[in-house]
Amino acid sequence: MPDNWGYVFSAYGLAAAALLVYWRRLAGRAKILAGRGAPRRGRGQDR
Amino acid sequence: MAARELASRVLGCLAVLAIIAGLGAAFGYAPREAVQGNVQRIMYLHVPAVLTAYLAFALVFVGSVGYLLTRRAGWDRLALAAAEPGVLFTGITIASGSIWGKPTWGTWWTWDARLTSTAVLFLVYVGYLLLRGMVDEPDRRARAAAVVGILGAANMPIVHFSVKWWRALHQPSTILGPEPSPIAAPIAVALLINWIAFTLLFAYLLAARMEIARLEDTHAG
Amino acid sequence: MSGYARRVWMVVWKDALTERRSKESLNVLVFFSLLLLFVFQFALGPERARVEAALPGLLWLGFILSGLLAFGRTFLVERENDCWEGLVLTPGDKSAIYLGKLAGNVLVMIVVEVVLLALFAVFFAIDFTPVLPGLAAVLSLGTLGLASVGTLFGAVTAQMRARELLFPVLLLPAVVPVLLASVSATQTVLSGLPLADAGAWLKLLAAADLVYLVVGILTFEFVLEG
Repeated sequence: MPDNWGYVFSAYGLAAAALLVYWRRLAGRAKILAGRGAPRRGRGQDR
Repeated sequence: MAARELASRVLGCLAVLAIIAGLGAAFGYAPREAVQGNVQRIMYLHVPAVLTAYLAFALVFVGSVGYLLTRRAGWDRLALAAAEPGVLFTGITIASGSIWGKPTWGTWWTWDARLTSTAVLFLVYVGYLLLRGMVDEPDRRARAAAVVGILGAANMPIVHFSVKWWRALHQPSTILGPEPSPIAAPIAVALLINWIAFTLLFAYLLAARMEIARLEDTHAG
Repeated sequence: MSGYARRVWMVVWKDALTERRSKESLNVLVFFSLLLLFVFQFALGPERARVEAALPGLLWLGFILSGLLAFGRTFLVERENDCWEGLVLTPGDKSAIYLGKLAGNVLVMIVVEVVLLALFAVFFAIDFTPVLPGLAAVLSLGTLGLASVGTLFGAVTAQMRARELLFPVLLLPAVVPVLLASVSATQTVLSGLPLADAGAWLKLLAAADLVYLVVGILTFEFVLEG
């Protein structure tokens, strides 16, 4: 059977991309929260 | 708190190291599989991903029960922080399974038992996250999510068997399953290393997400 | 009758009375079944063979779609009449309310299912009488599965503004096993095979029903807290 490295790399690449995007989102939110410091009022009602 | 940050960084570094080791095992140490060729290496991504997803949703169950019994927000944060990476890993499982399937079976999707079960799991927990996103009041959100999370977890074995039997009706099981059988030692070792790597990565993401949720709760209070 | 059973019965009785006086839900649901029949026919085209082949699936599609409407409205009466607090303040074991509402939903579904079967019999010239007992068994177990999750999630989403969106989104993935098992068992029964041939599926359905009921009974009080 041919080796299909393209498929292997796209699978790993997709997984890596997804994880990286999620991790960066988390890091971004953590940074914002660290910058805030002071407590704030609660947020809105039921949507 | 400095200790918490330090622990998080250590966990993150451990996870990265384990991932590197896992990749090495998957591409270097593990042999080229006789029947499928190198495309079988996708399994070192696919199988650990689904195992990690199961772990995640088990933790959603734990957090859900914990919240209902104690009403302490920490349990709800655990449920949320486990569900998000859980859905992510489930998505990776499905995508890698599908990509593996194309050269192997010729189509991007087959309604094979594992892929279908995992897809149903994905639908259940995406619904869980959507529910959480649509309720703002913390206690109501936690309680509603907990009920859905508990039913979702209890449903997992039922879904697994129903899909498996349904599948057996329509097609005999193929030899080319995602796991080769019997499993040769190097393949098992590579799977193990990658599974550990994914678990560490999940633990890191879980802790980070929980911390963010904790900070958000403090700021909103 | 024990206190618990009496409270369950009171919920069923109250809902039945409300329904009989207003006649809204049941009539519309029955009419909805008729509409579904036409929709299925138009979707599948004029060949009778196609409809016959798809019959088990069509039946359960019909039941699920009707169920989505019916279960979503389980607590509508309490919500619209500001009686939700009344539910919340009920003393004692709130799971009695869950069972009462579940019983009511099952009754509604039985009516809908009988009507849908009758309509299929008439419009597609299908005779269900030889397989009726087996069919009834499958329908009972499957309906219980749909209704037990539907009633629980109906309560969970009752107070949400996004209720109409969230309820189907939550219910459908959760009842996949019920759907798979019920359609397979219905297929077996409709082909004239003995009920025992669908034994494995029926056992799965029974196990699923048990799990859903237990989760519903145990978690319902947490749903009803204001």
